[in-house]
Formats: sequence, structure tokens, C-alpha cells
Amino acid sequence: MGDLGAGLRDALRLILSGDAEVYAIAIRTLLISLTATVLSLLIGCPAGLLLARHRFPGRTLLLSFVHAGMGMPPVVVGLFIWLLLTRSGPLGDLGLIYTPSAMVLAQFLIGIPIVTGFTAASVQALPALLPDLLASMGASRIRTLWLLVREARLGMLAAVMAGFGAVISEVGASMAVGGNLRGSTRVLTTAIVTATGRGDLAEATALGLILLALALAVTLSLTVLQQRRTG
Amino acid sequence: MMDVTLDGVTFSRDGRVVLDIGELSFPAGSTTAVFGPNGSGKTTLLRCIAGLEHPTRGTVRVGGEQVRRGDPRIAIAFQQPVFLQGTVGQNLELGLELRGVPAASRGPRVASIARECRIEGLLDRPARALSAGESQRVSLARTLLLAAPVTLLDEPLSGFDRVSWLHMLEEIPALLSTRAATTVVVTHDREEAFRLAERIVILVEGRVRASGNTAAIYRAPPDAETAELLGYTLVEAEGRVIGFAPGSLTREPTPLRFRLEAGRVVDLGNQRRVIGRIGATRVELALLPGESAPIPGSWIDVGPADWVEFGGG
Repeated sequence: MGDLGAGLRDALRLILSGDAEVYAIAIRTLLISLTATVLSLLIGCPAGLLLARHRFPGRTLLLSFVHAGMGMPPVVVGLFIWLLLTRSGPLGDLGLIYTPSAMVLAQFLIGIPIVTGFTAASVQALPALLPDLLASMGASRIRTLWLLVREARLGMLAAVMAGFGAVISEVGASMAVGGNLRGSTRVLTTAIVTATGRGDLAEATALGLILLALALAVTLSLTVLQQRRTG
Repeated sequence: MMDVTLDGVTFSRDGRVVLDIGELSFPAGSTTAVFGPNGSGKTTLLRCIAGLEHPTRGTVRVGGEQVRRGDPRIAIAFQQPVFLQGTVGQNLELGLELRGVPAASRGPRVASIARECRIEGLLDRPARALSAGESQRVSLARTLLLAAPVTLLDEPLSGFDRVSWLHMLEEIPALLSTRAATTVVVTHDREEAFRLAERIVILVEGRVRASGNTAAIYRAPPDAETAELLGYTLVEAEGRVIGFAPGSLTREPTPLRFRLEAGRVVDLGNQRRVIGRIGATRVELALLPGESAPIPGSWIDVGPADWVEFGGG
């Protein structure tokens, strides 16, 4: 308890002192994870809509893959991306390994099934006759999709929160494809692992608190938005 | 005004034929009840007319032109009313917006239909928080608001309590009469069919058993099964099937007589009825005021005041 208290005290001192490296890591974390979340939304939302709205051969199998992907260990995704991007890998010539882009790619892949799964579930939870009602009233396909998304917005915002929560908190993939390079690919999760490894309890706790604060701030904003629209 | 015609329409789902309609037409400006038991294909027929289902074969035309999904000439109210989030007023306005009605005229039109359908008090209420009866009323208003030449109503009286149901049986024909739309009302309730529409289409297992003037079909059902659907009691006698309407059985002398085995007596407050059997058929005999009830298990002579006959049963 004494170590934890001392760690928290040192952590607060580090945060309040405005340590440049700590803040650089926090900003990098936010940029990488937000970019990956936005990209996941761009693919996951339409994919979820498609899976929810249309019946086609292999749909159930695809949904099963999506659901399995929602619980996929990030380190496995990291390994897969590493095999693709490593110098000798099929995409090695791109030179992306150990760059923030590789980390965005890995987190994007982690986020896709989560956003897709949540989107599909929230759209499927809508009244089955809603698309027919909208069509019968003259809504175009695009307008119907937009109105369905608007109706499913609670679930869709949950998709955003779940996607962001998953990518900002993962460590395995970022470590594998980012390499935890100081000043370049070090993010909060990988920095916490490193600080803990070298016994720097104050830095590890400070980074942990910042990570928690960031995750809380983003999800709090989304929750406020979600609940305001509900009311 | 536009007529609706179906030409050789069949509809199959999962390899099963749900609808097999030959030629069927709904004259322009008429109100027709599509009547039949549960699972007879009534809703599927309505959805085909609305363009929400594509017939496996055949065509559905409105005013001579084939219907399509989202056809602006058609408005439909579903059996289970569906609303978007928001108030009743917003839901009503959305329909007009989607039909391209200018924003300036939406408000007055919504206010007008709300008055007609007596839902002014609901306009600011969340649409998804309405009772079943209120939902049906709003759904009807939303459909009529679109002022489409073809109006389709799927079980518009489901969800109402008895008193409201009786009110709606008066209100719906009044609302429809002020519009020149061709209206198709789906119902499984005989009384609704007779009170709401002047024409009837009787659907059994996806096929049209009878269509035409409601009263004419009631007076002369084409077969025993249709008669039974229309509420006739069927009794076999000497190789014939006799059908008589509810309430027509009497102990007074009639040309046709049956032996009725009396069962229990039900007191409905304003009338007592004997529940009994003629052969294997369960029948009800209304007792006249002051008339003594037969002892359960005793036999009495009864006969129908009016009846129809069908071939061998």
C-alpha cells in the first residue's frame, strides 16, 4: 500500500510538472487510436449495416467471424500484421514496420469486428418493418439507410465507444508492429509495460492514470452525446 | 381514382406457395375487405399490392401501371404500427417530407389529419410510448395523411379495447368516405369486414374463395367452407350440408327441423343462450325473454329461420 501511495504521489507530480515526453506519448496514443477508430467506423458501420439488412449466402458464417473477431487477442493481430510488414514479408517494401502507420493498421483491424458486430446488432434490434415503412413512405435507399443509422444511434455510439476502448487499451499489437520506439511509436500502453519492467513505478502509474483519463474523457463525451439524444 | 389489378400472381416463400391468385381486381374508389383465417396469405397479398414483396409470378398494377417498392400512389398501415424515435407529430411530418411535400404545408396538413382522426392530444407525445389503440389510430392517420390513391390497411382495428373498437368501426368508414381512394382492408374478423367494406375477397390458403359484393356473398356463400368462415353454422342432414347464420336458430315451427341436445345455459345479461349440439355440431340457441331453459341433456326440436344448402358434405 505504501508503494502504491508513493507511486500515485510521484505520478501526480510527474503529470502536474508537464513532463514533455509523457505528454508526447499521450498525444501520440490519442492520435493513433482515434485514427484507427475512425477508419474502423468507415468500414465497420457499412459492413454492419450490410450484415444486418441483407440476406446472402455465407452471411451467418461472416457474422460468426465478426463475433469471433470481437474477442480476438490483439497480439495475434499484431503478429499477423508483423508477418505482412516485416522487411522480408509480402508488404515489407512499404517500410511501414515499426511506424505509427503500422500501429494504426493493427488497431484498425482490431476495431473493425467490434464496430461491425455492434452496428449489426443495433440495426438488427430495430423493428423489422421499419425499412418497409420508410420505403412505403417514399424514402430512397440512401435516406432509408441514414434513417436506420439515426434510429440505431444508441447502439452505434456504443460501437464507437467499444471500438475506441479496445484499441486504446491494447498493448500486444502496438508492441509487435510499433516496436515501442522512444519518440516514435511509444504509446501509453507500451510505455507502461516498459516503465513497469524497469521498476519505474511513478512513471508507470502516471502513464496509467493518463490512459485512464483519456479513455474516460472520450467515452464520457460519447455517453453524454448518446444520452442527450435519447432524451 | 385508380383501380388495382392482380394478374396471375403467385408468391412462394421457402419453396411453399403462399399466394396463388388468378385474376383479381379492386375497382377504383371501392373499399374491399380481404378476409380469411390466420395464415391465409392476407398480409402477403397486401404487401404484394404495396410493392413490398415481388410476386414470384404475375403482375400487380395500379391504374394500369405495375407497382414498385416505394410507389407514391400507395400508402400502407401495417398491422403492428412502427414508428421512428420522436414525437407523433414528427412521425407524421416525416411521411410528408419523404413524399416531397413542401415544409410550409406539412404543419397544416398534420394538424388537419390530427383533428380528423382525433389525435391532436397525442401530437407531442413520444410515438413509441403510445398504447396499442393509440398507435393504431396514429398509424391510420399517417396513412391517410399521405392522401395516396390506393390505401392499404392491415388489421387496422387490432389492439383496440371493445368500446374503442366499436367507435373505430364507425370512424374508419367515415374517414374513408371523405377520400376517393381505392382501399383494401385486411381483417380476420367477419364483423369488421362487413362494417368496413362494401366488397369482400375471401382468401383461404392463399387462394381466392370468393370475391364480390359483401352482402351478396354473405347471402349466398359459394361453398360450405366459405360459409363457415362467414360465421354460418354447418349441420349435416340427409347427405346435405345446411348452413344457417348465427341467431337464426329457433324453437318456433320452421320447415327444417333438427334435434338439439341441450347443454349448459349461458347468461349474457341481456340474453340467455343454450349451448347444445345438433349431431356433432356445437350450436347456440337464444332463449326468448321468460322462456324456460331446457334441462341439460334433454332433447328439443329446433330449426333455422333461414338457411343455405350445399352439396354432399
